[in-house]
Amino acid sequence: MSDTFLGYERPDGSVGIRNHVVVVSTAPYANDTVKRTADIVENTIPITHPLGRCQTKPDVFQTYRTLLGYATHPNVYGAVVVAHAGEIVDGDELAADIADTGRPSDSVNIHAEQGVMNALDRAVDSAREMVQDASRMRREEHPLGELTFGINCATSDTTSGLCQHHATARAVWKLIDEYDGRGVFAETPEFFGGEEELADRAVSEAVHDEILERVEHWNDRLLATGYDVRGAQPTPDNMDGGLTTIEEKSLGALVKSGEGPIQDIVDYGERIPETPGMYIMDTPGHGAESVTGIGAGGAQFMVISTGQGHTLSNAVMPTIKVTGNPGSAERVPEQTDVDVSEALVGDETLDWAGEQLWDEIVEVVNGKLTGSEAMGESQFAIHRIGPST
Amino acid sequence: MADRYLVVVKPSDNVATAIREVEAGETVEIQVGDEVRTVEVREDVQFGHKIAVEDIDEGETITKYGTSIGNATEPIPAGTWVHAHNVESNYGRGDLAGEENAQAVHE
Repeated sequence: MSDTFLGYERPDGSVGIRNHVVVVSTAPYANDTVKRTADIVENTIPITHPLGRCQTKPDVFQTYRTLLGYATHPNVYGAVVVAHAGEIVDGDELAADIADTGRPSDSVNIHAEQGVMNALDRAVDSAREMVQDASRMRREEHPLGELTFGINCATSDTTSGLCQHHATARAVWKLIDEYDGRGVFAETPEFFGGEEELADRAVSEAVHDEILERVEHWNDRLLATGYDVRGAQPTPDNMDGGLTTIEEKSLGALVKSGEGPIQDIVDYGERIPETPGMYIMDTPGHGAESVTGIGAGGAQFMVISTGQGHTLSNAVMPTIKVTGNPGSAERVPEQTDVDVSEALVGDETLDWAGEQLWDEIVEVVNGKLTGSEAMGESQFAIHRIGPST
Repeated sequence: MADRYLVVVKPSDNVATAIREVEAGETVEIQVGDEVRTVEVREDVQFGHKIAVEDIDEGETITKYGTSIGNATEPIPAGTWVHAHNVESNYGRGDLAGEENAQAVHE
């Protein structure tokens, strides 16, 4: 079996499995110009959001880190940044930080251009040139170890922890153990009930303690609401699928991380370190937010292990959906990439399920479009910490 | 022979996950560790939902994956459907946080 894939090398040394140009908004008031630019220029991805203005500093840092993470993602060739006016998430600073990675970047400011039409003209011109330049790149052979494997779950049910999460765990540890790649999973509130066992997998006492502290911090935030979290965690669709409490959901969810050592726990949207192994990103369990965070962390692809089926996806970081629930392939058929339910209700084994998933991963990292990519499905939601001001 | 569609993850678990539709009145055999337990099903259990494999007292821990997934809010006889109506969580319980029993929240 080949230990390489065909990818796009970036000037910063990272290797992408796609060759996208992104158009990034720094504030809600630039979103429409970003969307219009991406509508006009083929093969561009709009990054829009409601943040970037009138936020407290922890949110400003998080928003900035996430936007920069996308603009400098291994799958991204170059980026056009569109700002509205003077913002606390500064467009020129963002474009300069993107350029520091060697990627083409441009900064367009609606006020400075004296209006949306002028800004659109410049953004379209810049994006068009980048897309044409990007199209000249060819895929080249690179070691599989260059890959960071993102993991998330979506509309989990009781089949998740019994079947498809085992397939995901087998695939991610194959990348780590056999090829020196990296894995990253997230969704800290979905460690509730399993946090001690998870923390025991940490490579150091410091990481062990930090995992427990971050779990406790999330529980404290939920207690401060004065309400029972049930309904938000687990969600109504989780409960329809048989999950009774957040503990049950968590213990199932943790199965997808396997049993090997945890190198570190990183902040939301932080770049995953280069040292091979498994990492945790501290995110909420809200799928759109955790997937957005992992994308900013630089995972070239993600496996979304779903119970009841889901449209959860990301345009920059392709999402491969695997299920072990024989019903979910019927509920969201166009976005169920790998159905391993024969390992749950048929005669196949969990090892077989892991191999099915691995084979699809190899296809996708070499260029095959996922169901979500082919459908043009994507969500982008940066987790917010505090109030708007 | 034990029913392969009623899955008990660890021998210490007191619930099984049904990966088929189970009907009230069925007599089922469930593998719990080395032992096969015969259980009379008391109510219908949907695909993916849980069934008690032994009598569980009110307040007792519900165990799956060998770990607590919450506590029984009422007595749950073997063969009963186990779900949100008879199990409560010990996490994210902001509703209990200000009360006397708040210390139970983070066990």
